[in-house]
Amino acid sequence: MKLLVVEDEPSLLNSITRYFRQEQFICEGVSNYTDALDRIDDTPFDCIILDINLPGGSGLQLLKYLREDKKKDGVIIISARNSLDDKIMGLDYGADDYLTKPFHLPELSARVKALLRRKYSDGNAILDLNILRIDLASRTATTNGQSIGLSKIEYDLLVFLVTNKNRVVSRQAIAEHLFDGPPEQAPGPEFVYSHIKNLKRKLKEKGCPEIIQTVYGLGYKLVV
Amino acid sequence: MSQPLQQKNTRILLTWLPLIMLAGSVFFYNLLKGHILHTQQQQLQLKQDNIWRAFIAAPNNFPTHIAGEYDILPASADTSNLSDHPRDTTILYPDRGNVGFNILSRYRTVNGVGYLVTTYISSKEIRHLIIKVGVAEAIIFLLLLIALVILNRQTSRRLWTPFFTTMNTIRGYDIRQNKPLSLEATTGIEEFDRLNQTLLALIDHVDKAYRNQKQFTENASHELQTPLAIIRSKVELLMEGSGLNEDSAGLLQEITEANERLSQMNKNLLLLTRIENGQYPEVESVALSGLVEHLSSFFREYYENETEAITTIVSIQPGVTITANPALIEILVNNLLRNAYIHNIPHGWVEVRLSNNALIILNSGPILDIDPQRLFDRFRKGRVDNRTTGLGLSLVLQIAQFYHYDVRYTYEEGKHQLTVSLSSGE
Repeated sequence: MKLLVVEDEPSLLNSITRYFRQEQFICEGVSNYTDALDRIDDTPFDCIILDINLPGGSGLQLLKYLREDKKKDGVIIISARNSLDDKIMGLDYGADDYLTKPFHLPELSARVKALLRRKYSDGNAILDLNILRIDLASRTATTNGQSIGLSKIEYDLLVFLVTNKNRVVSRQAIAEHLFDGPPEQAPGPEFVYSHIKNLKRKLKEKGCPEIIQTVYGLGYKLVV
Repeated sequence: MSQPLQQKNTRILLTWLPLIMLAGSVFFYNLLKGHILHTQQQQLQLKQDNIWRAFIAAPNNFPTHIAGEYDILPASADTSNLSDHPRDTTILYPDRGNVGFNILSRYRTVNGVGYLVTTYISSKEIRHLIIKVGVAEAIIFLLLLIALVILNRQTSRRLWTPFFTTMNTIRGYDIRQNKPLSLEATTGIEEFDRLNQTLLALIDHVDKAYRNQKQFTENASHELQTPLAIIRSKVELLMEGSGLNEDSAGLLQEITEANERLSQMNKNLLLLTRIENGQYPEVESVALSGLVEHLSSFFREYYENETEAITTIVSIQPGVTITANPALIEILVNNLLRNAYIHNIPHGWVEVRLSNNALIILNSGPILDIDPQRLFDRFRKGRVDNRTTGLGLSLVLQIAQFYHYDVRYTYEEGKHQLTVSLSSGE
């Protein structure tokens, strides 16, 4: 999969590209409007991660250009401007998703993967880890051929961990992901703790091995 | 000591007017008395002249004495020192008793014979007149005083109306509400016009300063987001690193926690600013019972599993709903609960009560080491400060105020109680 990250803050750009390269994505980074325009014209990308405030122009302009040119690249806007207007305008211009800074890298990764799944799976997506099978269309998880009865939050948690499998996901990242609303209202680690506990218990009941590990005090990791 | 304007005004009138009127009365009395004495003297003199003229015309058959009118007595040379002024005397009447008279005596001669002529005028009527005039004057002064006070009160009430209108308008003004202040430009009284202009200018000035301050907070929060995002991403990259051991994981965790706290503080500041700006206008019916149940169950589960477990007691009346912004209410409940668990003691307890009227959170905990009055101030924190942003209760207060809920803190024998009255205070 080919990604383009357009972000003017070099340090953040570096973090994002590095994170995705660790997962075998082909990931390019550019830090201004003209470079971004050049790259978009040159090559189709599976997904573009786009900052709104760019030197030389706005990310929204870039998005508009992209859509007017009938390009199908998936676009996720990342913006420090946490206003509803920006979000609505971004989605209006044809962005597929919108993420507010500061975000967690596992969250960005999950959004990118969700976008790619929507784009390429024709609504028939299955996350298959051999031991665990998640049907994204029907929102069900099975292990050893048995269905696991999960609450909505537990299901979302499992999908988030599976999407970020073999990576450490901090409790804060999980809390913000699971919380149904703006991130500044996300509850604390108490929230994550009880859901992880329930999820682990339900997996164990159905005979699934302990795939969710606690990584020191940092967070959790689903290991396959 | 300050008094209402009208009371003060009346008091001044009532203090000084009687004094002025009393002085006026004394002056008037003396003036009146002087004039009357002069008139009597004139009358007595005229009477003397008339009687004398009649007497010398027919000295032999003119009566020399009429009681209360005159006396003509033969007299030797004018040795007595006769006064030019009338004197007082009394005549005893058998039927009327002693009657006061004013008399004037003159030594006169006719054909070499000397006489002492004395004329009489009754002083009783004059004295009565003076008393009657005095009483009438007193009544008039009293009426005048009452009329003046009433008139004064009425006028000042009317004159000060624009002032009170202005005062009521200002009292209802809240800088946080973003509503412009409207004061009458022309009140009909120049001083009050000027007052209104001055007030409008002042408020405009303060408003601008307030807005700048808020803008600054908002901008600062936005600017902080990028470096926070960078730190967060770097820490997340480090978590993936192969060189992670317990020691470095501990360090990373501490960095994460500090950074998340910073990030949370920043978000809370932004949130406070937004609530102040009224950027959460959408309201809907919020099932509060369900929400409180839901959130307290998270906290219960988490804190029951801690080594120094905190017990949770929940009594929730089902079906309590309020009309508000669901996101704000969730923050309110969440922050109240978190506050109760964090500022607790090992093996302590938290009690959550919800009824139609109030949400009450009680918890065990050490006595506050800050002034309870300042509990809701921003960045006002007690001894536990490593897990908090110092903004949690400020947000609670801000949200409660936004919906006109009353928030009260009470402490009694190791029990902290925070009560949010759900009936809006309006």
